[in-house]
Amino acid sequence: MAATSMAAALAASLPAPSAAPAAPTPTYEAIPASMSKVIDIEADIPLTCVQLDGMVVTKIIKHAREAPSTTAHGLLLGLDLDGTLEISNSFPLPHHGGDEADKNTKSIARHQASMLRSLKEVQADDSVVGFYQATTLGAFFNQSLVDTQAIHQEKLRHGGIVIVHDLSQTARGNASFRAYRLTAAFLDAYKKSNFSTTSLISHRLTFSSILEEVPLKIRTNPLLSSFLGTLTESRRPTLSPDSTATTATVSALGASFSVLDLGIAGVTRNLEQIVEAVDSYRTEEGNLSYLCRQIARERGKAENYIAKRKEENQGRVAQGLAPLPEEDVTRLFKIPPEPSRLESLLLLGQIDAYGKSLARTASTGLVKMYATKASSAV
Amino acid sequence: MSLGPSSSAIHVQGTSTTDTAHNLPRTPTNITIHPVALFSILDHYLRRGESQDRVIGTLLGTRFENEVEVRSSFAVLHSETTEQVAVDMDYHRTMYELHHKVNPKEVIVGWYSTGSNLNTYSALIQNFYSQETAPNQAIHVAVNTGVEEGQEPGVKAFISSPVGVFPKPENCVFVPVPVELRFHDGERSGLDLLTSAANASTSTASQPIADVEILERSILTVSEMLDRVLSYVRDVLAGKQKGDPAIGRYLMDTLGASTDDLEKGGFNASLQDTLMISYLANLVRSQAEVSSRLALTTSS
Repeated sequence: MAATSMAAALAASLPAPSAAPAAPTPTYEAIPASMSKVIDIEADIPLTCVQLDGMVVTKIIKHAREAPSTTAHGLLLGLDLDGTLEISNSFPLPHHGGDEADKNTKSIARHQASMLRSLKEVQADDSVVGFYQATTLGAFFNQSLVDTQAIHQEKLRHGGIVIVHDLSQTARGNASFRAYRLTAAFLDAYKKSNFSTTSLISHRLTFSSILEEVPLKIRTNPLLSSFLGTLTESRRPTLSPDSTATTATVSALGASFSVLDLGIAGVTRNLEQIVEAVDSYRTEEGNLSYLCRQIARERGKAENYIAKRKEENQGRVAQGLAPLPEEDVTRLFKIPPEPSRLESLLLLGQIDAYGKSLARTASTGLVKMYATKASSAV
Repeated sequence: MSLGPSSSAIHVQGTSTTDTAHNLPRTPTNITIHPVALFSILDHYLRRGESQDRVIGTLLGTRFENEVEVRSSFAVLHSETTEQVAVDMDYHRTMYELHHKVNPKEVIVGWYSTGSNLNTYSALIQNFYSQETAPNQAIHVAVNTGVEEGQEPGVKAFISSPVGVFPKPENCVFVPVPVELRFHDGERSGLDLLTSAANASTSTASQPIADVEILERSILTVSEMLDRVLSYVRDVLAGKQKGDPAIGRYLMDTLGASTDDLEKGGFNASLQDTLMISYLANLVRSQAEVSSRLALTTSS
């Protein structure tokens, strides 16, 4: 009690009490002239390029390979500077089975918050700029990717980025990373959650205009570059009696020849997946056309009803009676809403991606075959 | 493959002691490191505070018999002064739990530090991690980043054993253990990508790279190797160089591979298959394109 009165007395004695004396006044440092153009607080400079750090590359590859399902995903952390989004770190998100979706999202959110807090403590970047997703054979179009990215695009600065890593292509010797974001047209249609035919036409949406690709670069920081340099430089094998197995690979990182593999094991799988995708597309199309027919039928019934009622009313008017009301048509006939074509759109995108990956395998296969023929002819 | 300069240390394996005590966990005799762990350590080192000489962190991985495989790592807060050392154990626990949730197979196997000087604090931290990994032994990986002058970058791994009549936590002997870089074959291309980025003058590499481009590079390497072998064989034949029988055998094994299958019409059959697949792929893609356009038309 005494303390508070003392405080009150002190406060009264002060000439002009400041509003919040406890809070330290933030010091603003002037942005240097050289940086003033590249720093945008309001995120005005559009992203033109994504830059992926070497560590993130290995992290994503490792997670994608080890994850129990093919859809490994995680978050990307980084900063943007002058239109370049620098991704400097990433962490995987836990994989859950399909049970209790609500509980899952909560635990993932908790995991994410906890991880971000921890990373901040060791001076790592802690702002989420997007997420990554692993895929096989190039088909990454699916509902969950679109949903997540749509949420990100609203919440994150610059709308966030999704990085797609193709597992099967990496295994074939070409590590593949691509950066995407949703196009404005798709996002508009998505927000209205309207994927009827008319909406697709007005937004000019096909599967190729759902996502737009952002150029991607891989960057290694100087320390990593120099370390990789020492790894790849040739070194004399250590002399030990049982080192015959290691001497072959000791020099440099060793050349890799997985690209030269003539095997076509992947092709069968690819073909299977095309067939599967085409099948599910057919099923989806069947559903759509069934729904369309149903709509047409219901609409026809309603129109018939209205026409009949009109005729009847004309008859009644002619007889001098009061006309029957006409407004209960919508209640009598339930015309189903027009079906969403999003699913079929995504499936088409998948088929196209599988086709593309198959074509790529075939073209490199041709080159390899002629190369083998040339070498065997010698 | 080996990491860092070769050392003259003899790796003694106490086989007799492990044979008698089967129940006791075995002493690690070989340590492998995944690139992710290594690169994370380098990144942590880059992000260290101004006053920090070195950084430490936890190594996660798997154990298999005598081998410890380090699969990933995370940074741990610590402070060192001349009087004391402090490791943020709460932080370590939280991070471990987070990692464990994503990848339950990986457990704590030891710790890393940058720089290659071992001191009393190293022994104390080692003691702490030994409690974490009990009953197995904790390993210590020292990464020399090579930024200080006169030091070669490299990686060394140690296990500890108590020393003295009355073992004290601050006293221990760090015994070197051979260490290797290991990754899955599928991850190889990722490393290739990074080395090509590291070799570029801007230390960036743009993506995506066409498959054919990579193929071309590989074929060029192969043809270079063939040239090298050819010149060696010519030298031996001309008597300029003494032939090594071992190399001869390797060459015979490699180049003597049978290509009969290809010559007997196998080539044409394969070619037809590949062309067929190529046509099919293009057909599927154009069909998909057509039907996506058709979806944009109204039935009116």
